[in-house]
Amino acid sequence: MAEIAQDSGGGHKKGGKVRSKKMSTRIDLTPMVDLGFLLITFFMLTTTLAKPNILALVMPEKDIKKEDVEPVKESKVLTLLLGPNDKVYWYEGITDAKLDSTDYSAEGLRQVILNKMEKVKGQFGQEDYEDFKTKEPKKGSFINVIIKPTKDSRYKNLVDALDEMAITKVRYYVILDVSELELAFIKNPAAGLKFNAEDQVEAATNN
Amino acid sequence: MPKHKPKRSAPTIDMTAMCDVAFLLLTFFMLTAKAKPQEMVVVDTPTSISQTKLPDAGTLTILVDREGKVFLDMAGQHTRMDLISTMNSTYQMGLTEKEMAIFSNVGSFGVPRNRLKQFLDTPVSERTKFPSLGIPIDSVDVNKSELANWIHNARLSQFRMKQEGKVKDEYVIVVKADASTPYPAVQGVINTLVDINVNKFNLITSMEGKPLAEGSKK
Repeated sequence: MAEIAQDSGGGHKKGGKVRSKKMSTRIDLTPMVDLGFLLITFFMLTTTLAKPNILALVMPEKDIKKEDVEPVKESKVLTLLLGPNDKVYWYEGITDAKLDSTDYSAEGLRQVILNKMEKVKGQFGQEDYEDFKTKEPKKGSFINVIIKPTKDSRYKNLVDALDEMAITKVRYYVILDVSELELAFIKNPAAGLKFNAEDQVEAATNN
Repeated sequence: MPKHKPKRSAPTIDMTAMCDVAFLLLTFFMLTAKAKPQEMVVVDTPTSISQTKLPDAGTLTILVDREGKVFLDMAGQHTRMDLISTMNSTYQMGLTEKEMAIFSNVGSFGVPRNRLKQFLDTPVSERTKFPSLGIPIDSVDVNKSELANWIHNARLSQFRMKQEGKVKDEYVIVVKADASTPYPAVQGVINTLVDINVNKFNLITSMEGKPLAEGSKK
């Protein structure tokens, strides 16, 4: 850089005094460019050009009437209980439910959901549906996932669970409050779940 | 014997063009960049695969920090002015015109209603040190829940401003909670929203690579 400066400034020394007016008016812009790019880098790093991502969430309405509740097949239901220490408990259906636990990794929760989907597909086959956005007729096997975060879970767990819904393309899922019965079920899985469909309706309507 | 040719040729590059480009870019970045809004708390959002971006429309952000304290932030100076004058007259908060003007510029806030006056009187530099207690939530009675009142009135204000043509859109409700916030705190916010019939809202997440769900299915 310094060389260039020399060149522009002290060029024609030999020429004598008369030629002094011929001195180049060229200014070395290198430092200015340096400064310019430094500032660009600074602004690029400090500004929030990237807008944050959002995850849309639709909650059920507050006052759902009992007659508006549409029954679903028990064998299609998968309930996730988000427990403490990044652990998720899950059981299928309601009757003779067996509690199992897993984590939020790709091999854990995702596999549970995919297995359930396969099972439902095997039992009920594929159903017709209309694509939500494109209105194209499609086929798929549907499960109903109920997400129930317990008091000891973190917000991250909820987002992770919702994320899995998006990844595995679960069409029907809902966030409900966990019931006392289920909390007891986590504590003592051997005793089984004494939770019937009426209780579930109760829990859904009186959120 | 060669003549005085090769020695003094230090390569001169004309920097003018590069300089032009640099400053053009600089100007562009300075003009497009939005100043990062001052937030009362640092919130480390959880990651998700969602690719949806936050819309440009006005947002009403509910911040939940890791201890579960709730803060509010809304866009639009006109709406905020309208909101605070409504709240001031409804709940007799005793704010002066000056304090209301401060409110319209304050960014996020997380103090109970009865301490808002004190909060607004605090100079800007001291404000981050102001003890943030969070906006109280009453999970039993919605009408007593300050958070519900704020959000409800903010939406009404935004609606009024829309009718007056001062803003284009109604509020998009956004929940920004810390990854390690205990669930009951988030539940309180979600229940409040459902109580005032906001059933559709957005959770702010940071980016995460999209896994191959299709592949693992097979």
